Amino acid sequence: MLSRSLKIGIVCPYSWDTPGGVQNHIRDLAEFLIAAGHEVSVLAPAIDESKLPVYVVNAGKPISIPYNGAVARVLFGPVAFARVRHWISQGDFDLLHLHEPAIPSISLLACWAADGPMVGTFHAAAKRQKIIFAIGPILEPAIEKLSARIAVSEAARLTLTDHLDTDAIIIPNGIYADRYAHGHSQEKWSGNTIGFIGRFEEPRKGLSILVDALPIISRFAPDVKVFVAGPGEPEEVIKSIDPQLRPRFEFLGKISEEEKANFMSSIALYVAPNTGGESFGIILAEALAGGACVVASDIPAFDDLLGHGEYGALFESESPTELAKVVIDLLRDAEKRKQLSLRGKIHAQEFDWKNVAEKIYSVYEMSIVGSEKVRLASDTRPWNRFLNKEEKS
Amino acid sequence: MTRWLVAIVLVLIVGWYLSFTATRLDRLHHRVETSWANLDVLLQKRAAVALEIAHSDIADPASSVLLTAAAYQARDADIQNRSQAESGLSGALGLLLEDSEHLETAADSALLTELSGLTDKVRVAIAIHTDAVARTQMVRRKFIVRLFRLAGTAPLPITYEFEADVL
Repeated sequence: MLSRSLKIGIVCPYSWDTPGGVQNHIRDLAEFLIAAGHEVSVLAPAIDESKLPVYVVNAGKPISIPYNGAVARVLFGPVAFARVRHWISQGDFDLLHLHEPAIPSISLLACWAADGPMVGTFHAAAKRQKIIFAIGPILEPAIEKLSARIAVSEAARLTLTDHLDTDAIIIPNGIYADRYAHGHSQEKWSGNTIGFIGRFEEPRKGLSILVDALPIISRFAPDVKVFVAGPGEPEEVIKSIDPQLRPRFEFLGKISEEEKANFMSSIALYVAPNTGGESFGIILAEALAGGACVVASDIPAFDDLLGHGEYGALFESESPTELAKVVIDLLRDAEKRKQLSLRGKIHAQEFDWKNVAEKIYSVYEMSIVGSEKVRLASDTRPWNRFLNKEEKS
Repeated sequence: MTRWLVAIVLVLIVGWYLSFTATRLDRLHHRVETSWANLDVLLQKRAAVALEIAHSDIADPASSVLLTAAAYQARDADIQNRSQAESGLSGALGLLLEDSEHLETAADSALLTELSGLTDKVRVAIAIHTDAVARTQMVRRKFIVRLFRLAGTAPLPITYEFEADVL
């Protein structure tokens, strides 16, 4: 797949220490590219420099700002800008890959500062915000410097076309499908079981929908059990559960990747009741790869990922009764479950890194022309050339 | 005195904005050129693969004739006829691939895989190119760009028809 070894600079807008979809994506992509023989440097904000992998360069301590319904740990300001410029001028990169260049963080700064082959990936999906009328004209000249734009899902692409009036190629997020494909079914998680993985304390993950649906489900499937995995304090959630149904819930805490594979191949149903704010749904791709039968809310990202119901069952978002209906129907029909998970497992190969990285790489190839390298935009501006105002730090 | 100062600052701001826009436009033209160069190379490759397919066992004699003609036309077409020629080749390949799905042999399937890989890349290249063209056209429609002729002598980029219906 690779014709020559490239020097690639990747910019991560969010703090490297906090777990998140974008960070995971960048880590996997960087490691895949390094394994394929490329030289990769990732620029990211970080709190604790000592824990960074060798390929990550610290851009400074992140600032917490509220963004898109959550707290985002980003980084900007004159000092950060100077570091970004330093990283670009010292890096001698063939290509920059900027993640989320439209949010106020170092990706945007890099996009502003650099000139040359650049690719941008847009992860977020959000409803159209009025504020874009004000910030659009500032962002547009920067965003159009990108030689190619990638959106991780149809939802992310629509967000981009809505906000910035520009199109993107869809390349999904990647997973290591093989890691999930060979899980061992565990007795303790088998039977009429429902699985849920995620930061259950966040309302948008929708665990409360599942909690509300359980009284109905347990009437038709008295032996049903719900396993909730993921970081967080379960006390609050347990309080909200009907005392009679509390024994039906078990909180597993954070589980390892290996356990996740076993988990997915043991449970009868994987339920994702998210109410929104989701752009791709990597956990669904992992569940499919692990051979789980998936039930998900019909938010655009999930609807898209599950092929409108082809690879997993959908229910009306935020409706516990609809969720209960779909779950009961599937718990009673083992054959239907098997069909869905079989189709899903094949479909999950689409998201495997070897396919995803190849697609990303072919976009790289098209963005790189000849031997043109990434350099600072200020070096090429006529008045700076004239004044010889080089600020190489 | 202050009136002069205001005037000078104003001229400086306008000057900066003009220079900024000119740089922006220059970069966009550059993007259009490079994305077209990419697309052109890929289309040439596609024509070459189409010729190979025409000479292989995949194509029956009739499709072989059709495909060879279409591939040569696509390769030799000048800029005016390029669009039509590429559409023609897409059509010819489409016809062939429609019924070749069930008669793939191991030796020929390598060619078909190569073609489908190329097709994917062509699709991406088209998306990148059309976006660059649309952006450039948009900026060039701006009043200030037309007034000061910031685009210089660069020709207005156009979208080729085949880009909409190819593959």
